[in-house]
Amino acid sequence: MVELEFVRTYAAPRQLVWDAWTDPDQIAQWWGPRGITTPRESIELDLRPGGRMAFEMVDDATGIRYPNSGTILEVEPPARLVWSDDGFPDGGGKGTATVTFTEVDASTTTLTVHLLADFSETVRAGAEQGWGTQLDKLVEYLAAVQA
Amino acid sequence: MQAAAGDDALSVTFGALADPTRRTMLARLSEGDATVNELAALFPAISVQAVSKHLKVLERAGLVTRGRSAQQRPAHLRTAPLADVNAWLEHYSHFYEGSLDRLGEHLARLQGQPLPPPTDPEGS
Repeated sequence: MVELEFVRTYAAPRQLVWDAWTDPDQIAQWWGPRGITTPRESIELDLRPGGRMAFEMVDDATGIRYPNSGTILEVEPPARLVWSDDGFPDGGGKGTATVTFTEVDASTTTLTVHLLADFSETVRAGAEQGWGTQLDKLVEYLAAVQA
Repeated sequence: MQAAAGDDALSVTFGALADPTRRTMLARLSEGDATVNELAALFPAISVQAVSKHLKVLERAGLVTRGRSAQQRPAHLRTAPLADVNAWLEHYSHFYEGSLDRLGEHLARLQGQPLPPPTDPEGS
């Protein structure tokens, strides 16, 4: 299992950040890095414990669609959301994501995304397909971590 | 698929990378092989013995191999585990960093102007 955490502080009230994260109309506006679109019609979100979530991300350049699905585990508006991710079609990447919304003040919110995932299967599959080493990027990343 | 807590190869690699001294050593080895003494020269405040221990951790993680014949046993960077870590980082760091950037822009837009219609993806 591997853990990864992302922390951001936004100049926005906590309720607003929660809504942006949990309202499908809004999720379609921002979910995915640049170059990736998450079409509104692909988003399914049953916001309650045991509820299903599913969406598709589309690579704008290639049109390739990346389906994703999972199950909502915990919902505590507007403070905490936990879901399990079904992972990739190759069986890897199964895991749990915990998003915490912390009110700093009335107009400032700190968001923490904590990922706990099993990638051993993905890595194995990737190694078999002969992933490149891309060492330059990693060294760059390591330099950034140390900075 | 059973998750083996903490002992899968990727976790070992991450453990080895979770130390700034070892990352500096790897960055140096990415430029070419180096002996323990050459690596130790990078860290005036750390003993050669401590550097040697760090090197053993990297070796166990498969990130470094050591020359056998030469007396100095120069360390050589092995990139395969890094490729695995990199592939993983590629997936998730890129995805979340990018998404969280866009969330920030979305929140700014929300507070500055009306929400654009959901059928109008950003950047189109």
